Amino acid sequence: MNLAAAGHPVLDPTLAPPFPQAALPVLRNPQLRKNVAHAIDVIQAKRAKLVAEKADWQELRSAASAIRDHALENLGYYLEQFEARCTAAGGVVHWATDAAEARAIILELLRQENASEVIKIKTMTSAEIQLNPFLEAAGISAYETDLAEIILQLGDEEPSHIVVPALHINRSQVREIFARRMGLKDLSDDPQALTNAARTWLRQKFLTIPTAISGANFLIAETGSVVVVESEGNGRMCLTLPRAMITLAGIEKVLPRFQDLEVMLQLLARSATGERMNPYTSLWTGVTPGDGPERFHVVLLDNGRSSILASSRERQTLKCIRCAACMNTCPVYRQTGGHAYGSVYPGPIGAILTPQLMRMQHAQSLPYASSLCGACYEVCPVKINIPEVLLDLRALVTDQERGQFRRFLDPMYLGLRIANLIFSRAWLFHAAQFFGRIGLRFFTRKDGWIHSLPSLGAKWTQTRDLRGLPSQTFHGWWAARGSKPMKEAK
Amino acid sequence: MNTPPPSRQRIFARIRAATQLAAETRSSVKGTSSVGQGFSPDNKPAQSMGAGRGGFQPTHLSPEVISSESLPRTYIRHGQLSPAARISLMIERLREYDAEVVECSPEELPNTIAAQLAASGKHKFVAPPGTPAAWMVTAAWQIQGLEWNIDHGLTTAEIEQAEGVVTAAFCGVADSGTIVLHHSPAEGRRVLTLLPDWHLCILRASQIVETLPEYFHRCPQPPALATWISGPSATADIEMTRIKGVHGPRFLHVILVRDE
Repeated sequence: MNLAAAGHPVLDPTLAPPFPQAALPVLRNPQLRKNVAHAIDVIQAKRAKLVAEKADWQELRSAASAIRDHALENLGYYLEQFEARCTAAGGVVHWATDAAEARAIILELLRQENASEVIKIKTMTSAEIQLNPFLEAAGISAYETDLAEIILQLGDEEPSHIVVPALHINRSQVREIFARRMGLKDLSDDPQALTNAARTWLRQKFLTIPTAISGANFLIAETGSVVVVESEGNGRMCLTLPRAMITLAGIEKVLPRFQDLEVMLQLLARSATGERMNPYTSLWTGVTPGDGPERFHVVLLDNGRSSILASSRERQTLKCIRCAACMNTCPVYRQTGGHAYGSVYPGPIGAILTPQLMRMQHAQSLPYASSLCGACYEVCPVKINIPEVLLDLRALVTDQERGQFRRFLDPMYLGLRIANLIFSRAWLFHAAQFFGRIGLRFFTRKDGWIHSLPSLGAKWTQTRDLRGLPSQTFHGWWAARGSKPMKEAK
Repeated sequence: MNTPPPSRQRIFARIRAATQLAAETRSSVKGTSSVGQGFSPDNKPAQSMGAGRGGFQPTHLSPEVISSESLPRTYIRHGQLSPAARISLMIERLREYDAEVVECSPEELPNTIAAQLAASGKHKFVAPPGTPAAWMVTAAWQIQGLEWNIDHGLTTAEIEQAEGVVTAAFCGVADSGTIVLHHSPAEGRRVLTLLPDWHLCILRASQIVETLPEYFHRCPQPPALATWISGPSATADIEMTRIKGVHGPRFLHVILVRDE
């Protein structure tokens, strides 16, 4: 089965095609580009307004950056503290070195609960470990409860953004999906009506399914608490109604103290959705008798994260609080949307996170999916210097390629080697100029422009024209200058 | 099920190896990294951390572990607004979220609650066990057919059947129009303010702070449960159009009691 060939986006970095190839379907789909651009414009405008009204925005960024740096630098300490406090409060902490282990732990926990169905709060980490297809194969139906995730799940679509994962789908497409999958023929495409349909569809599931899975925005080491930030209330439903709760969280999500939230919560919603505060933020600590689930499990996932810690510069990747401001501001993401990144983490943060989670064995095209304009660094609420990491990763990719025989088949590599040879010898350079001039004359039109070139040259001319070479080189003109009167080049 | 301990050990071993490696690189290439700046190594470990619940005994205590309290915090902690301006900011923010806000004096509160309930046109209400009787009696007396269901262990189905809920709050944050619940007996279990479609929240002026850090300052003991509510349940997942009321209450009403 070749999903990429069928036009279905592939978000498994081990299988996804390189970025330039994966971006093509989007670049050729004006509707998709329009949907993405519209959503991004709305968020960007709201964010800009709310950031501007915050007099201490830069101070908040600095504090958040320092807190996240500190937490990562002492990650072992804070994870152990979280584990001890969460356990003391009645939670059970599990450790998963990789995706397969996390899936196995969650399945085992669901089996203990005799669960055939489970409700889910939006969690990109569960998408990272491809949990839903795994549970489906094990005979457990996982129901997404975030509106965007329902749209994706029912429409058999893939997320293209980490905060608003269905931003590439417009209202009439949502209407089509809901009408088909919920059996509502007369549904209108009014967002209010669509939202009501989702509310009705989910209400019974919330009230009857006794097991839930969530992600975590933050883990608080000091108290062993977990924090989930959301808008719709589906999170609160999943956190309070079921008997058993399983939280899947990356090990990097830990914050030292409860009070650190005073920084993070001021930054997160403003950066993510352009709100002063998201409608609902929930914090819970282990199990509270009489309020919420009776059994609570946390699965702490490594899956490549600890390997990113080792370099003090690349480590900043793990500071991310998943606000998506970097993708909203990115000129590349704006054109390609999220699917081109071949990962559940798209945009600039995905471009540095995905290859590192893959230990540089996959997704090597992603560090190049950037113009290095630096807009992502400027908006990042925890000051991740994404361009700096992109450059480092490019160097790693280049180092990898150095040892490969395959590079001798790469026209780019061969071209640069030949150029190296020519530019280092004056006589070769002059000869190349002479023959190039003769060769290009065949392609230069009367207006002095080259409109199309064959072979590799077409990569340039298919999108823009090339000016024909002047009849005289600078060297030629210089040499001729003293003996003859100056002539204008035509 | 017990997690196989090897995974835990392996993850900690990887973290320890990685953080030590990074620390060595950092000290040998001084000044090239922005990571790790902001605190000096002579800071002392937080005194409170070893004690407390859980009997936490750190075994992965690296020499650089210090209190995160000493990290640079130059952002605005305390607001500058006068009490009156702080309260009008809170009201303005709540109204921006489409929440209904009315003000009253402490003496007027029972009548104001009754008026709000009457205006809602609803009759079946739930309230947490710590709700003052005075809040409920006046309304019950004034409104015909009004039903109070006090949450002494109500089932989910019983809460689901309620048309509205009346609770107190722990704090209000004016800067973002946020209402904080710590789920005390007067604020109710989490589910109580979730299932009914209509939430009337009683907030006293003395509970309102201007900035989020001021709220955290009011929590010497972190709560075990907390919900920060900023406006009614909402989504913008379809074409970024803000839609009120997905799963939580669609209607948030606030009575602001002028107790200052």
